[in-house]
Amino acid sequence: MSRFWMILIEAFPQILLQGIKVTLPLTAVSFFFALIISVIVAMIQYADIPVLKQICRFYIWLIRGTPLLVQLYVIFYGLPSVGIYLDAWPAAIFVLSFNEGAYMAETVRGALESIPVGQVEAGQCVGLSYLQIMWHIVLPQAFKVAFPSLSNSLIGLLKETSLATTITITEMIRQAQIINSKHYETLGLYCEVAIIYLAFCTILTWIQRAAEKRLNRVGGRTEND
Amino acid sequence: MIEVKGLRKSFGDNEVLKGVDLTIEKGDVVVILGPSGSGKTTILRCINFLEKASEGTMVFDGETFDLSSMNRKDIHRLRMKTAFVFQNYNLFANMTVLRNVEIGLTAARGMGKAEAEEIALRMLEKVGLSDKRDAYPSQLSGGQQQRVAIARALASSPEVIYFDEPTSALDPELIGEVLAVMRDLADEGMTMVVVTHEMNFARNISNKVLFLEDGNVIESAPTKQFFEAPSSERAKAFVRMITADRTVREDNKQKEI
Repeated sequence: MSRFWMILIEAFPQILLQGIKVTLPLTAVSFFFALIISVIVAMIQYADIPVLKQICRFYIWLIRGTPLLVQLYVIFYGLPSVGIYLDAWPAAIFVLSFNEGAYMAETVRGALESIPVGQVEAGQCVGLSYLQIMWHIVLPQAFKVAFPSLSNSLIGLLKETSLATTITITEMIRQAQIINSKHYETLGLYCEVAIIYLAFCTILTWIQRAAEKRLNRVGGRTEND
Repeated sequence: MIEVKGLRKSFGDNEVLKGVDLTIEKGDVVVILGPSGSGKTTILRCINFLEKASEGTMVFDGETFDLSSMNRKDIHRLRMKTAFVFQNYNLFANMTVLRNVEIGLTAARGMGKAEAEEIALRMLEKVGLSDKRDAYPSQLSGGQQQRVAIARALASSPEVIYFDEPTSALDPELIGEVLAVMRDLADEGMTMVVVTHEMNFARNISNKVLFLEDGNVIESAPTKQFFEAPSSERAKAFVRMITADRTVREDNKQKEI
């Protein structure tokens, strides 16, 4: 077998291992927090709570208006100069959660607003409290509406974790760089990384499709008014 | 039982209700009539607090409330005694028919699952839809959805049910089934306030008519008196118009036969 394939085969488990040890957990944890952030931020705007609502709009404006890379640099390399030291992992989780959370908040807000107001009024009329209306009526339906876009965000986030390499986290690309510095098989190794990303995203897409099928079985479509 | 006085409501500069009085006794079927845009729906929405009135008081079971400054607790307390049927049904799309009917009992009133289900099934039977208990609203026709909405309203045994144009969104051939259910309720002595364009229903089922134009009550009278001897010119013209319309339709029917 040629040297080219030998290097790629040897590199494969090492890169994949970093994917399982770093990329996947970083994605999962960041997405978990991003989801919580986005639901809270969206619900504050949906409920039209003064002051908090303005703070939420400011947060979304700030995050969406600046590059993720800059946000990582500011938090990890910038904050120490004012005495705040974060380790690479907490910094990455913090930045990725708040970054993706801002985009997802808009998705969730749109989904909440797509639920007909009439159902909220009907909920009030049968005596449900605001939180009961949200929990039993609005959120379940909004979740279904938001699901495809949120899956999009998850897949996007998985790839964005590659930027964590710039704040010293050895994820898949960093691992490939390390191997490449020994063997100089640049094209092959980076294509190998791409293929592993592709595999991860393909699996996520399958899961999404299966989940959507399940969601659509329950309750059919929302009303057309 | 319910006495509304001096109800006013403005949307911006547009005054929709200009001091409406309305008295509802137990067992009344009050019909609110009037041309579109006269404020009929807004009355119902204000007395169930879906809109905040600009002015007005309401006596409900002997307690007096200021409609323009209701606190959340009172609103909730009064809503527990009333029910609302919407023009667009507004069933909860993510719930089965049965869940739609029982959620007001389980979630809002803390009733046990078994008891709530029993009541919900009884109400569904009443509107003739027990066989649809596990269907979702999107699988039902408009008339069926509205009947489920009525079952939902009935489940909490309200003291009064407000109907906001309950048949206006329905195809003509589906109106009858909803009106039949409402007629049964009236026969059982249910207190109802109905905004409608169905003149036959108004004429044959209601006992009081409130005739509204431009946010003012033009005439408030027992049904028989309103249709046979209206006192105001506007009401006379209105009754003439709808009776003329009826005669024309009956003529057409005759011709078809």
